[in-house]
Amino acid sequence: MSEDPRVRIEDVSHRYGSVTALDGVALDIADGEFVTLLGPSGCGKTTLLRIVGGFERPGEGRVLLAGEDVTRHPAHKRATNMVFQRPTLFPHLDVFANVAFGLRVAGVNRQEQRTRVREALALVRLDGYEQRRSHELSGGQMQRVALARALVNRPKVLLLDEPLSALDLKIRLEMEVELRRVHRETGATFVYVTHDQREAMALSDRIAVMCAGRIEQLGEPTEVYRRPASVFVAQFVGDANVLPVEVIETGAEEATIQLGDCRHRVRCPQPSRGPAWLVLRPEAVEVRAEPCDAEEPGALHGVVRDVAFRGTGFGCRIELPALGAQVKAEGPGSAPPFAVDDAVRVDWRPESGWLLPRAGGEAVPDPIPEPDAAEAHA
Amino acid sequence: MSGGRLSPIAGLVTLAGVLFLWLPLLVVVLFSLHETASLSFPFEGLSLRWYERVYESPEVRAAVQNSLIVATTTALVTLVLATLAAYGMSRARSRWRAPLSLLFFLPITLPGLFIGVALVIAFTRTETSLSLVTVTIAHLVYVFPFFFVLARAALERLDPALEEAAADLGANGATVFRRVTLPQVWPVLVGAACLAFALSFDEFVITFFVVGPDPTLPLFIWSSLRKTIDPSINAISTLLLAFTVLLFVVTFGLASWSERRRRGAVDPLALAGAEAPR
Repeated sequence: MSEDPRVRIEDVSHRYGSVTALDGVALDIADGEFVTLLGPSGCGKTTLLRIVGGFERPGEGRVLLAGEDVTRHPAHKRATNMVFQRPTLFPHLDVFANVAFGLRVAGVNRQEQRTRVREALALVRLDGYEQRRSHELSGGQMQRVALARALVNRPKVLLLDEPLSALDLKIRLEMEVELRRVHRETGATFVYVTHDQREAMALSDRIAVMCAGRIEQLGEPTEVYRRPASVFVAQFVGDANVLPVEVIETGAEEATIQLGDCRHRVRCPQPSRGPAWLVLRPEAVEVRAEPCDAEEPGALHGVVRDVAFRGTGFGCRIELPALGAQVKAEGPGSAPPFAVDDAVRVDWRPESGWLLPRAGGEAVPDPIPEPDAAEAHA
Repeated sequence: MSGGRLSPIAGLVTLAGVLFLWLPLLVVVLFSLHETASLSFPFEGLSLRWYERVYESPEVRAAVQNSLIVATTTALVTLVLATLAAYGMSRARSRWRAPLSLLFFLPITLPGLFIGVALVIAFTRTETSLSLVTVTIAHLVYVFPFFFVLARAALERLDPALEEAAADLGANGATVFRRVTLPQVWPVLVGAACLAFALSFDEFVITFFVVGPDPTLPLFIWSSLRKTIDPSINAISTLLLAFTVLLFVVTFGLASWSERRRRGAVDPLALAGAEAPR
């Protein structure tokens, strides 16, 4: 038994009419893991979560919980519990009765109901709220009650469908801390859906980045951020400069690339010659003031077009005339490092760049627009 | 100068309209309290004697009893059947949902005359003897769409995510309905049952076709009018009016209470002291 993953998703495909929501998704989630399904609106992440929860039956494929095939089991027969996007507290019941709902349905005796509800409310720090009704709670409190209502059943797998997306930023940040703590304290497996890459990176053990019904990349947050598997992942997770380059020389762990007239080295596990995308995170871009009239061959020259204060430092946009492109750069500091129209040189360490294969003639991908906060339930 | 005030002409027209609507009713109520048997002015003093006469009349009692039996049965059977139909129609994902739904509520547009003729033909063909049973069946046909429309509207306003949440917490279909759906919509259902009762209680046209030897109250009033006209008819009509108005008030009171409760504007259970807060 112990060898079976807590959740196994086997080649799940699902369609709504002619729209393919999921296209051959496979994913194993270990016991106690915190896995996030991350992707833009309509990528199928909510559908996948609903299939695991038993609210949808997949067109193809299987769902296994601890080795047991539950594909055909309805939601009420699964050992999973869900926290929904909107707080779905029962309006006719008070907080105690809401949290106790699952226990009552399961026929747990009253004494134990009281103990476990108290424990669950303590876990989400709402002790003493038993008699409140849902309209007397704030949005953050409602989601805490929803969390307690799910956790009181001691689910092996907790499913969370963008539970923080309806909350204000400040409360969202607090709730992230709470969720990490609750995950540590309960030891349950968390499957979390979000379109917010910052949230995904802050919370997860592993992230599954989804696009158009497929998992584009599965890995730890640092891996997904530093070694994105595709241009989509690079742009969706964090901010990234994606520049078309040519690989002209390959070494064991390194490649020499050419952008415009400039040559540069980039670390890359298995480089191959030809066209490629260079992925550069803004904080990896090093910007230096250009010494007057000292045009050095091979350096990447640029002009500062925009400088913005970011709280922790400054962000710049630098136009690179040689490439006909702009790059974003970010760095710490208390005073603006440059003024608009300054001439600068752009550089980076070989290990902070990342190369992705590029088909010849492929255009620079557009930056992905911010997804709507209120993602439609597919 | 003008503001929100009515001009004298608009005021007169409005007054005439109000009088036109209410004067006949007032006359009935007034003469039900008349001292003498006269049904015309001058008014000769107040008395409750016609109400006493009504109360003591065995025929009136029998008619009221018949009407109560028919209306109660109609309301209860409709409550069960139309609630099930409305729940099914509001939750089913079948492609038959829309056409079936239409079939359930379209009879609301049928003229009573049409329903009456159709049923009396059906009963004759099947050699069903006319009785309170046939009256009840006819009333079910008549009342069902009204209940269905109200119940479906209430059920469709509910958040389906609440039912999913309940299922997620281990509740099967019946438990979800009993513990989550019903507690949210019962005021509307009870209100709709009152409406069904009221509609049945004073239904005349359809009943006229399918009634057997035992008359309902409206039919009794109608047949006594053909014999004599005395103020006890006014008394019965007044009682019928009061009763029906009361039922409508209950219906719409419950519906609007339920709506406010759903929006969380009031907490009637706590207000009513049903659950002591803290």
